[in-house]
Parts: sequence; structure tokens; C-alpha cells
Amino acid sequence: MRKVYNWQIGRNASYIYPENRPKKQWAIIFDLNKCISCQTCSLACKTTWTSGKGQEYMFWNNVESKPYGGYPIGWDLGILSKLGPQEWKGNKYTGKTLFEAADKDEKILYHLPEDADWAHPNLGEDEASGMINQGDWIATYPHRIWMFYLPRTCAHCTYPACLSACPRKAIYKREEDGIVLIDQSRCRGYRECVRACPYKKSMFNVETRVSEKCIGCYPKIEKGEMTQCVTNCIGKIRINGFVSTPDNARKDNPMDYLIHYKKIALPYYPQFGLEPNLYYIPPIHVAPSFLEQMFGPKVEKAMGTYINARNDHELQALLVLIGSTEKILHTFKVDEEYAYGYDEQGKEVVKVPITEPKIIRDYHDAKLNAYRQNTP
Amino acid sequence: MRAKSFLFILACFIFAGTVYAGETPFSEFTSYQKAVDVQQIGLNDPVWDTVIPVRHPLQRQFLVLPKPAEVGVKEVFFQSVHDGKYIAFRLTWKDSTRNDSINVVNFSDAAALEFPVRRDPLPKYFMGEEGKPVHVIYWKAWRSKDQDQGFQTVKTAYPNMTSDIYTFDYSVKGKGTDKTQQEKEIFIPGRAANNPLSFPHKEIVEELSAEGPGTLTSKNIENTRGVAEWKNGTWTVLFVRPLAVNDASSVQFRIGEKMPLAIAVWEGGHLEVGGRKAVSPSWAEVKVE
Repeated sequence: MRKVYNWQIGRNASYIYPENRPKKQWAIIFDLNKCISCQTCSLACKTTWTSGKGQEYMFWNNVESKPYGGYPIGWDLGILSKLGPQEWKGNKYTGKTLFEAADKDEKILYHLPEDADWAHPNLGEDEASGMINQGDWIATYPHRIWMFYLPRTCAHCTYPACLSACPRKAIYKREEDGIVLIDQSRCRGYRECVRACPYKKSMFNVETRVSEKCIGCYPKIEKGEMTQCVTNCIGKIRINGFVSTPDNARKDNPMDYLIHYKKIALPYYPQFGLEPNLYYIPPIHVAPSFLEQMFGPKVEKAMGTYINARNDHELQALLVLIGSTEKILHTFKVDEEYAYGYDEQGKEVVKVPITEPKIIRDYHDAKLNAYRQNTP
Repeated sequence: MRAKSFLFILACFIFAGTVYAGETPFSEFTSYQKAVDVQQIGLNDPVWDTVIPVRHPLQRQFLVLPKPAEVGVKEVFFQSVHDGKYIAFRLTWKDSTRNDSINVVNFSDAAALEFPVRRDPLPKYFMGEEGKPVHVIYWKAWRSKDQDQGFQTVKTAYPNMTSDIYTFDYSVKGKGTDKTQQEKEIFIPGRAANNPLSFPHKEIVEELSAEGPGTLTSKNIENTRGVAEWKNGTWTVLFVRPLAVNDASSVQFRIGEKMPLAIAVWEGGHLEVGGRKAVSPSWAEVKVE
């Protein structure tokens, strides 16, 4: 085991290989307050990448209902119960990561789902956290009874469990964008990656007898475009781009701004020690105790920042940039009225009003001499 | 007293040193010359009644992570005969579960024989080493079932599964249905990448070479015929190949010579795969009579 720096848990942590960060790191931010589980992302991914034989059960992108849903069933409970209760001290994780909790004969602590666990991609859909009593109504944050939708792809982790577990080095992380790929000609279907990935985003293809995973839509990324699941999102809840380490963060990079400056987008299950690159704006109606387990100790502050977004012009500007373009934004700028997004060459690719212009028309149209009516 | 313990410990180290230096093979087998046509020999040929099976203990793979905590198969019985042209190896071991069907988390029963490509210098017995390759002859129960019942596909793994449509594979003639099989298989990544595991094969035995753990590579040649049978909680697997083949990176047997070999067995029901396997404790040797 080597020691590598993991900024998400604020300390050095164990990993199989030495620290080797890519030049740029692919990442997605999801605003969980806005996801309606329409599954357009899942279908955008499926029709693009997993329409072949042996891929029927695969959802490289899936959306599940929390707290009870999961694909595969119980992926999170399975590994959390094996890891057991662990501690954070402030923003530093003092518990064990999955690499640190590994048995002496294993590289990582793992949970291996059963065959049937993969068969129900949206079991537990819309199940709330408890029974709703007569007279319950939504009056406070957080809600007494809650649920939320969790969209997930591969996190193209900085310290991928799949890559470290593969005995054949058939999995590699691209230097240019940090995307993690399985070499389809080199894999021998041992499924060590399927065992090791705590997020369960490596999947075995019974038709080809080798494993596959989300490819981060690398052909699109190479063209400066965001992934299929991001660009097809109806609710405009996602943004895809490149995240820096905290010491290299640029305030004008939309990803760095939300992750490092506003600290409103948090990695999921950072305590696993993989430095995943999926970041979530936590849903403000959900019990913080649940969210803290999932997103770490910064979650309550992030929820407060989000609630206060209406008073934060710059943050508001950035939230409207999410879902406004297919191009990856490397920088952004805000003025009084508009938010602007720029590509890698600094060319403006999008301009959106921060507040939609509001026009109130007269009840009577003098030109046509007609009365305007609201037709409900 | 102290001096005595010291001497005892020293003696233990010396003994362990000789074993692990591989100077004495752990097991010695013999391939008996028999007046039978070995090329055509069957799994239950009467000739096997004339050769005493030699018990060979197996232990968990203990050199490379991940290591299995415990293995499902702890001993295998070895027999071998040859006729001067062909050599046959017959392995028998107890396994109460027959794991030969594919699904998303099923692991196959399997067995392998490993030989050094060159004996001098002898490669490390565990998967060889750089510049000192080993030749691995690998049987997998999945491939036996493929041979018996046709290549297993997602449809055989999940017969009740329905899928609306596959790209270019519509039941109604239309755009794309005139594509060649190869063009259609762009959507089946393992086949598009020409992974040998993703295609049906004539033999149930795969031949591979390796130069260290994690370097196993299919040789894409099929010089070994395999026959396998699971009956009453026992696997019997037969490997038959010519003594000599026209390939410099394959094992070559010569009459009167001893050939190092190692055996590995995987118990699929025990989730054994890859390095999670039962192995010979060190090189064994087979003398070709």
C-alpha cells in the first residue's frame, strides 16, 4: 500500500499505486434539489452505449430513490455495513477507508452483490423514509419524512478501486482527462473490478465474458462536449467539466467554483477513500444525519449556502449556467444581468440571463382592440 | 537449552530454504508409455484403470493479492499416459457443486496445467517471470457447457429476459439490417475488440503463455484436446496433446526426460477466479517414461 493525498477526506490515505493525477480531471456536479427521476439520462446513456447483447441489465447511468432504492440493490448498505461506524473529526476523516479496512489477503474491503440484485434497476422507487401520519404536511426544512432521487454514473475516481483491483492492469486512467476505462481486449472477466468498486459501476457482460463500465462519453469529451447523460438532462440539474485540486482551484472554473469556493457540491461517500469525481448539491429537505453519512461533514453548511442562493448573485448566475449548453465550460463570467460561459480557447459559447425577463402586458390590447384573458 | 532452540530454529530455516529453492520437486509423477492410441483416448478409457492416480495436495494461492482465505479444492489426483506421439493428463478432484453456467456473478469451475517453456533456467513456478515464460493449458467448465449445449449467451443465461430491440437486429427489414455480423458486433464491445474470450472455440481448453502474475495471454492456438465430466460430485478432466508441437513457445515433451509442472484448480461455487485459486505448493515433475 502507498500513501496518497486525498483532499476530500483531508489527509493522506492508503492506495495500491502512488499518487498520479491526470492533467485534467473529468467530473459531474448534480443538483439533487432538481432531479425528478425522469430517467432521460439513463435512456440517453443506454441508447448511446449499452444497446448490445449482454448489456441489457447495464445502466452505466442510473437514477435511484433514496433512502431505500439502489441499483444493484443494497450496493450502499452492503459496503457501509461491512465498513461499520467510522468517525470524522471536523473536516478530517479519522476512520478507515476501504483500502485501509481491507483484510490482509485483499486489496480492498468489498461487497459482492448477488445476481438478482442487478435485476431491478429501480426497485424502491419513490419509497419515502417512513410512514406519513395523518396531519403531516411539509412546513419545515428538513422534512420529517423525505426521499430524494440520486442519479449516478461512474465517478472516474482519482484513486479508482476497479483499477487497483484488476490483477491484469486491464483498467487505466487517461492522463488527458482522468476518464477510467477497461481495455476490452485485455480483460479476462475475473470481475475483481466488480467486487472492488464500492459504487458498483463495473458490470460483467455475459455475452462477451468481460467487464464493462461507463466510459465518461470520452468521444464527446475529446470534442469539448459534455456527456450524453448531462446534455440530455431535462431538469438541467447537471454540469460536466474538469475539477482541480483545492490548491489549484480557479474561481472562474464553474466546477471549482461550486466545489472549492462555494463548497456547495460535495463528493459522495468520500470516506471510501477513492476521491470520486461525482459531486452533489445536497437536497435541502432531507435529514442532515442521512446526508452527512453520504456527503461528509460539510453537508449542513452546503445546504445553508443553497438556501441562501437567492441572495447570492454569482452563485445564482452559475446555477443558471447549468444545463444551458452542450459545450464544456472552462471559465465563466457574471455581470449584472447575464452569466457567460467560455470554452477552453476562451471563446464565448453561452450567454444566459440570470433572471428571466418579466413582461407584464396590459389587460387590453389597444392595437387589436382585444381584451387579453388568462385561460386556465 | 538456548543453544538447542537456536540449532532447532536454524535447522528449520535450512530445511525451508531447500524446499523453497525448488531443488527437490514437491511431487513426482510418471507418464507411462502405453500401447494405446492416446490421440483418441477417452475420459474413461480402460487404460486409466492401469495407472494409479497420484494424490497431489493443493494450497491457497499465497503470493499475489488478492489471496483466497481458503480454497474449495485441497487435493487433486493425477494420471498420465503417452504413446510416443501424444501425451494425456487426467485430473480428478472432488467438487460438490457443478459451476458451468454463466451469469453476472457466477464463476466457472476450472483447472490448469503449467509448464516452463524452457527448463534452464527454470522460471518461478507461479506464472513464470519476465523473459522466462510458462505455457498454461487451461480448462474452464463454461467452455465444456458451450461445447455440449452451444455457446452460452445472454439468452441462455437469462431465458426469460426480454429485450425490445438490438441495434441493426430488427425482425422487420429496414435500415441497418443489411449490415454484416462484424458491423453489428460493434455494439458488443468484447467481440469488437477481438477478445478471444468473447468468441466460441473448437476446444474446451485454452492455451496461454505468461511471464509473471497478471501477464496471462491467450496463444490463439489449439493443440490440446480436452474432455471433462462432472459426476457424483467429482470432476474428471482430460488434456491430450502431441509430445512435440511446431511452436517455440509451447511445452515440448521428450521420452526419458522430466518436465516440471504445476497444477491449479478453481472452485467456482467458492467464487474462485483469477488469483483466487488452489495451487501446487511448488513445481512438481512428470517423468515421460
